[in-house]
Amino acid sequence: MVAPCLRHQVGRHHQKALWCCVATSTAQERTGRIGGRWTPWLFVAPSLAIVVAVTIFPTLYSLYLSFFRWEPTLADKPFIGFGNYQELFSTGRFVNALAVTALITIVGVALELAVGFWFADFVLADRRGQRLVVALMLLPVMVMPVVVGYTWRLLWDAAYGPINQILGWILLRPVEYTWLGQTSTALLAIIVTEVWQWTPFMFLILYAGMSTLDGEIYEAAEIDGAGTWQQFWRMTVPLMLPIVIVAVLIRAVDSIKMFDVIYTLTGGAPGTSTETASYYIYQVGYQFFRLGYGAAASIVLLLILSVLLTFLLRALRSRMA
Amino acid sequence: MFARRRPLWKRLLRWIIYAAVLAFFLFPIFWIFMTSIKSASEYMHSPPIWFPAAPDLSSFRRAVEVGGLDAMRNSIIVSSVSTLLALLVGSFAAYGLARYEVGGENLPFFFLSQRFLPPVVVIFPFLLMFKTLRWIDTYQALIVVYLTFNLPYTIWMMRSFFKEIPREIEESALVDGASAVGAFWHVALPLAVPGLIATGIFCFIFSWSEFFFGLTLTNIRATPLSVFLPGLFGKQMIMWGEVGALSVMAVVPLFVLSFLVQRFLVRGLTMGAVK
Amino acid sequence: MQFRTFRKYAALVLVGSFVLLAMTQCAPAAAPAPAAEQPAAAQTGPAATVEDSCTNAVEQAKQFAGSTINVVWESGLQPEDPKVFGPKFTELTGVNVTIVEIPYVDMYTKQLQDYVTGGGAYDVLTLAPIWLKDLVNAGALEPLNPYIDKYMNKADLDDYLDVYGSDGYARIGDTWYGLPDDGDVFVMYYRKDLFADPGNQEEFKAKFGYELAPPKTYQEFDDIGRFFTEKYSAEGIYGGAFQHLEGQAWDWFVGPFSGAGGQFFDTETMDATINSAAGVKVLSDMVKASEWMPPGVQKWGFTEVLSAWLDGKLAMIITWPPVGRWSEGIGKGTDQLSWVPETKVVGNVGYAPEPGGRSALAGGFALGVSPNSQNKDAAYLFAQWMNCPATSLERVMLPFALRDPFRKSHFASEEYKALWPTAGEYLQTLESAAMQGQLELGIPGGREYMVALDQAITAAYAGADPQAALDEAAGKFNAITDRLGRDTQKEAYSQWLQGQWAQPGPKQ
Repeated sequence: MVAPCLRHQVGRHHQKALWCCVATSTAQERTGRIGGRWTPWLFVAPSLAIVVAVTIFPTLYSLYLSFFRWEPTLADKPFIGFGNYQELFSTGRFVNALAVTALITIVGVALELAVGFWFADFVLADRRGQRLVVALMLLPVMVMPVVVGYTWRLLWDAAYGPINQILGWILLRPVEYTWLGQTSTALLAIIVTEVWQWTPFMFLILYAGMSTLDGEIYEAAEIDGAGTWQQFWRMTVPLMLPIVIVAVLIRAVDSIKMFDVIYTLTGGAPGTSTETASYYIYQVGYQFFRLGYGAAASIVLLLILSVLLTFLLRALRSRMA
Repeated sequence: MFARRRPLWKRLLRWIIYAAVLAFFLFPIFWIFMTSIKSASEYMHSPPIWFPAAPDLSSFRRAVEVGGLDAMRNSIIVSSVSTLLALLVGSFAAYGLARYEVGGENLPFFFLSQRFLPPVVVIFPFLLMFKTLRWIDTYQALIVVYLTFNLPYTIWMMRSFFKEIPREIEESALVDGASAVGAFWHVALPLAVPGLIATGIFCFIFSWSEFFFGLTLTNIRATPLSVFLPGLFGKQMIMWGEVGALSVMAVVPLFVLSFLVQRFLVRGLTMGAVK
Repeated sequence: MQFRTFRKYAALVLVGSFVLLAMTQCAPAAAPAPAAEQPAAAQTGPAATVEDSCTNAVEQAKQFAGSTINVVWESGLQPEDPKVFGPKFTELTGVNVTIVEIPYVDMYTKQLQDYVTGGGAYDVLTLAPIWLKDLVNAGALEPLNPYIDKYMNKADLDDYLDVYGSDGYARIGDTWYGLPDDGDVFVMYYRKDLFADPGNQEEFKAKFGYELAPPKTYQEFDDIGRFFTEKYSAEGIYGGAFQHLEGQAWDWFVGPFSGAGGQFFDTETMDATINSAAGVKVLSDMVKASEWMPPGVQKWGFTEVLSAWLDGKLAMIITWPPVGRWSEGIGKGTDQLSWVPETKVVGNVGYAPEPGGRSALAGGFALGVSPNSQNKDAAYLFAQWMNCPATSLERVMLPFALRDPFRKSHFASEEYKALWPTAGEYLQTLESAAMQGQLELGIPGGREYMVALDQAITAAYAGADPQAALDEAAGKFNAITDRLGRDTQKEAYSQWLQGQWAQPGPKQ
């Protein structure tokens, strides 16, 4: 097997390229390869090296940093144990940032899923013009998040933005509300902006998945007297569930990392009420140059993300199998 | 779903809903383009003006004058090189994973999990590491850093593309005396070109849109377009016209690229979960 | 995953990490010294007195012809000034000048980061007084005294208006770290026509019991603003506005707070006293004033206030000096100002100090030199040339520049006074407001404190209780103080308070 070889190698050589008793590996037998014993690992070695250098090592370094007070304007950089972590949870600002992140993620992804699902179903009901619709729905996903943020900031503007203008037409009286000026509506604005950009993502995935569904089972259900609603809930949803789970988890993980839109749309204001975790870390860790503290906060974020990630990977795994 | 004859009012309703949904999703894009061709008095106007009286391209001119093209060039360079590097190294690894099942079931998922790493986790170490290497504000810093996403993504995608290629072709090459690496390079890779293109375009899109690392690791020399844009928000000025022009410059290339890769779009977005 | 595979990966990871960790630890941790050689020190004659800083800067800079210096400047409209003068300098000396534009909120971080990471990207730095102590503590500013001694006519140092040449603005003690380059002070612009209108005067007197005149106290400011909004809002004209946008909202707190005698800290304990009765009153007043300001003012930045003002929609504004020049239509039609709306208030603008008792010396810029620069002399000479009396006068008169008069010679300039009929009044107001001005908090961490204050203010604008918001800010202040060292902060604060322009209290 592969594993015993590696254990042996690491102990002796401290190398990443490992020669292995490939002759006894089932993979080898399966593919009928003969190339050198080390060949399979040669393929993976450069990537593994890069990943370790660029991801694993910095993450561990971050962990290491998180136990220090590291600021350029201070003379020494002392070891402070869990001091940074204590500070993280003592002020409530970081916890608030996590809460904001969770809120935007949960509400945003739920809306994206609902709207995406509904629209995919809607489009598939009658296939005319579908290519055009798909092509157009692609565009929001392709817009740079920074551009999305600034564009929506202009749209939400109380005086210069068309949203108030359009609302005014609908309500038949002038609307001059400052959407980004109140926490509640600022969060709403952020969610709408995110939903705008990522619903097409959901739509495209679900559309692709649903278009492979066999029309015959629906015909059969129709004949049996099932209405559209029943068809949807009892047939479409269960069949699409694996894909939905993957899509939702991808979106959730990406949403938790959210930074660009907050930076451009609200800057965390009013006060600090619309800060997300990443934005808070950026402000305190980078803008104020508190590297140790920032590292600690990011480790906490990573831990939270890892939990979510485990579910995602399991779902992907079962889907891949 | 199967098509059926619908009463007129239902078809009308359908068109209305279509229009409404598409209007919602395309409106902001429309607004970006309009802002970029409005004159200054038109984009700072209350109530907002939707269509400029006469298209005014001076925002584009000013955007270029303040250095927009340089930023664009930086983005192109960094995105392209990082993508190519990821494709090269990544497909190499993907081949090993696909054909030799290196690392069993766990290594592929190990690679995949790296794609989800929050940038904030690694930025502080990167700052210190790059300071030592004197790589702050250089192309190579961004190229390497973009690999945090591009490489795992490429490995994952190309692995599934390689798995779709029938083994027989490579096996016959091996029987003819090719080495394992040779089989990869001369046989498998050419066959996987569609996959390379699709994956490459997604890597490019990610690198192009990336903001956080660009913001924190560059100053003046290697500033990408995504970071250049916020630079137009000064203490005493927001140059919305130039922002609009740069936004157009930022999204049009991606729009074009995405049309090219439509076929693989969903697969690319879901990393192969949906084919 | 199986434990075997886990162990395998863990081993790989650990091994690889240690290898790489070892590699990076070998390299020196401190900022590396510039690798290239410094150009040979400038040859000058014996230390004779320099007659004219401007010409001498040009003369001395010629020996550096062919080199390039990178100059940090605030992005937006500010760079229009060096974009005109940079090429002039190149023409005169052969030194290439590249302007690097950075958004204001990032300037401190980027310049500090460049220094700390040894990037060496910048030669000429732009510093604001509020960053001075922190930058100096980090070693990120080159002391300029040797260069001043060598190149400058010392009389020019005395030409700075007292406040701009004071300790803590661009110098600490006798060491100069920057050449003050911008006379930023808040003034109030008001519509003379609206104030002078007899109908308005009568109605106002009847309603409030005193004459309608430019407000001196915040209460008067509130009364007048409310009056104008009530009377004119149907026509789209409001009593006034000032910036509420997050990031800078705190600057409009500094003046009135000082005017009310408010202090940021208790001098004995160094506890934050931002949430004192004075602070809460000022913040409540600011929130109350927002009621009669135009809708959406909560997100108004400089551009929005300026546009509304030039459009004739506001009776009063509190903002920086450039607006005075633009109000008079100076330089309209130039390309750089194409975004500035056509001014409808020409000839109707009056000038007064900021209401509330003190005018905030909000912002302010000085030109410094980076210790990592490869061309320190050339960098310094460029700064000196831009800053010298003759060149700087040209610059502060520029229609599209955001640099404001800062030298005594500027304020006395007949040329300036001739720019528009009331220019003399304008200069006078700027000068007296500055001389009675209140400096922004000039102790280490100043910026961080102000960000916490800004957050409290924007929260209050959004409806939070001012006392609660300021209490939270005070908590943040104390955390910062503790982190930086309570004793060192206390010493820095009491030292700073000795400055004439740092002491709170009403002065106008």
